[in-house]
Amino acid sequence: MKQFTQYLAGLAGAAALGLGGMAQAQEKEPIHFALLQDFTAVYTFVSTEYNQGQQDYLRMINETGGIDGHPIEPIIRDTANEPQRGLEAYNRARREGAVLVDFFSTPVSRAAVNRVLEDEMVMITALHGRGDASDGETFPYVFPMMATYWSQAAVLAHYIEEHQGGLEGKRIALVHIDSPFGREPLPVLETLAERKGFELRNFPYPSPGTEQSATWSDVRRYRPDHVIIWGAGGGQQVSVREAIRNGIRQEDILSVVWLAETDARNVGSRYMKGVKRFEAVGTGTDHDVLQDIIQYVIEPGLGSGPMENVGSSYYNIGVATMAVSVQAARLALDEFGAPLTGDKLRRGFEMIDGFDARGLMPPVTLTHKDHQGGGYGRVSQWNGAAWEPVTDWFHAYQDIVWEEIEQDAAAFREGR
Amino acid sequence: MFYRLSGIKHTRYVSARALWPIPADRRILYVLGALALLAPVLLSDLYLTSYMLPWLIWTAAALSLTLLMGMAGQLHFGFAAVLAIGAYTSIHLTRAGVPFELALLGAGLSSAVIGSAFGAAALRVKGLYLVMATLSMQYLVEWVIVNVPAISGGAQATLNTPDVRFLFVPLQSDASLYYMALLWTVVVTLLLLNIRRSSFGRALVAVRDKDFAAAVIGVNPVRFKLLAFFVSSFLGGVTGAILAFCYYQAVTPEQFGFNVSIQLVAMVLVGGLGSVIGAYLGAGFVLLLPILLTNLLAGAAQIDWLPISFNLIAHIPLMVYGALIIGVILFEPLGLAKIYDNLRKYFLVWPFRHTQS
Repeated sequence: MKQFTQYLAGLAGAAALGLGGMAQAQEKEPIHFALLQDFTAVYTFVSTEYNQGQQDYLRMINETGGIDGHPIEPIIRDTANEPQRGLEAYNRARREGAVLVDFFSTPVSRAAVNRVLEDEMVMITALHGRGDASDGETFPYVFPMMATYWSQAAVLAHYIEEHQGGLEGKRIALVHIDSPFGREPLPVLETLAERKGFELRNFPYPSPGTEQSATWSDVRRYRPDHVIIWGAGGGQQVSVREAIRNGIRQEDILSVVWLAETDARNVGSRYMKGVKRFEAVGTGTDHDVLQDIIQYVIEPGLGSGPMENVGSSYYNIGVATMAVSVQAARLALDEFGAPLTGDKLRRGFEMIDGFDARGLMPPVTLTHKDHQGGGYGRVSQWNGAAWEPVTDWFHAYQDIVWEEIEQDAAAFREGR
Repeated sequence: MFYRLSGIKHTRYVSARALWPIPADRRILYVLGALALLAPVLLSDLYLTSYMLPWLIWTAAALSLTLLMGMAGQLHFGFAAVLAIGAYTSIHLTRAGVPFELALLGAGLSSAVIGSAFGAAALRVKGLYLVMATLSMQYLVEWVIVNVPAISGGAQATLNTPDVRFLFVPLQSDASLYYMALLWTVVVTLLLLNIRRSSFGRALVAVRDKDFAAAVIGVNPVRFKLLAFFVSSFLGGVTGAILAFCYYQAVTPEQFGFNVSIQLVAMVLVGGLGSVIGAYLGAGFVLLLPILLTNLLAGAAQIDWLPISFNLIAHIPLMVYGALIIGVILFEPLGLAKIYDNLRKYFLVWPFRHTQS
């Protein structure tokens, strides 16, 4: 069925191109995606590239005939990571007919959860927001759609177990920013420590993480076998640099998803060689989707930002979020017909089965219950010039992850 | 002419000391009051919930801080923490089954107690040193909230506000939430206006202008500094609860970060230190102007007036906003309230340039 619909979509796209591309795409009602993100405050380290990837992907879809002829119009606004500005932009976008919203900011999405559930608006929270929103029965309109932080911690732990000499008897240090985000992997890692018999200690450093030396001298005294670093933005570079300075081998440093090319350049490309990270989406331009973007968007000069960002880690994450969303919209339109509403789009998301954006990402399957999509990812390593995958896509310890999800989702239901 | 003064003769102290002795001021207030009451009918839900509601609540917060910074002269750079204490107290109290009315009081009291504990530092230090002491409050409170899951609400660090009623009215519809916020803001406004003309207010001003001079004329600075912190934190705590229940409906520690404290200080300063109407104008300026600028530019970009990257478009409002703040401070260092005051004074004697005396 999936292949058939993809075939149909491809056929429609080709036909649209043949019949005069945009002219036909413009005839049908546009679909509005609201990308209300933080371009000026906290998430600047990722949002520019991420949003560029989203825009370029949507442009590529529009250039190749839209979704069954419907063009997608993004609504892009800056929220400066402030909930009240996010809510204003959200209410405005809702009035303009948006069916999907992506805040890409944990504080704003958390403040918006109740509203999207009430307004029947799809909110995608890839790699941010509430992890327990993976429970689709409690959060019908919220789609984390990629591995939650709990799943990421599980994947990293599993990697140590399989490829770095097992977990038993090891000493693992979790060095994290002192915020709810930094503390998020703790419950999963604690459960794993009990189950697998390793020692876990967490070392928080104060936000925003530009100064961590005191924390790392503690880490050094602890003499860990492996270090998992959990932060974002500038703090990550400081973590890597301090870890290496304190005698931790690069190979033993594992990071949450937020470690990218820019960080490697700032730390020093050769210096950082061997550091590993969790990866949710493939990197580089060597993917069919990226090749299409280059052909239809970048080469004709329609790109929305600097060319050197194309194919970077965060750019590709942006592409992947929109690929899943467009696929959901396509399935929803095929099944329920136009006009697209939040409720139809939600059911479109829940029909996604084994979608991998032509090899860009692990196969995602979203169901009525599971809005995380399996929690797949892989570990990649900085080889001095690029991020190189060292494992295949896999997921790990989903039983522990789902225990967490269900526990928090239950607390959310009670709290309402 | 517009603010006609001739023929208005106050023959009793009561009328001379009224909050608004000039009929023209009262008339403006009646109109504004009527507009505020009719806002749910006049405005679409977008403008009601995204502009009016946060503006009113932030005005109440700025007014609470005005009492402390403007009237009593005590700098406070951790006022978001005061709001946070109120918000978390009210949520935990209502979750435990306490009625909302009492939870509001509890929110105010807990903020007042913790706020005055930190305010006690004001008895020893002044100026920049007090800024440091209140800054420590901001970080300590934030740290406690983040690190005590029982307060922050577990791994997700998000607490939803339960459905509540205020005086038998369920707070669910947009209009009811708006009226609740309006009621509280009006209460705070009237309270501040009245404090200003009471002996308490005059004592605060005396302490602000010179605390040992105040002591010489018989005003106990210790007592009044602490009282200023207590009252201001009480109002801030209740405002925090209103903010949580009427606006956010889900509370996370990030909503009360250091940047919010700075925004509140900016509201008080841009509006005009110690002015009540300044709090309204300052809150509007700091809260709504960036939103308006962002929408304006995005609109211009959409109709291809601005062929520049979205990243630059996102940053232009910041530049304009910064330039406007500098402009206000250069043009009128006493704040937006002073600009309003100048206009009003101009019309008091219009068509003449100035009065004889």
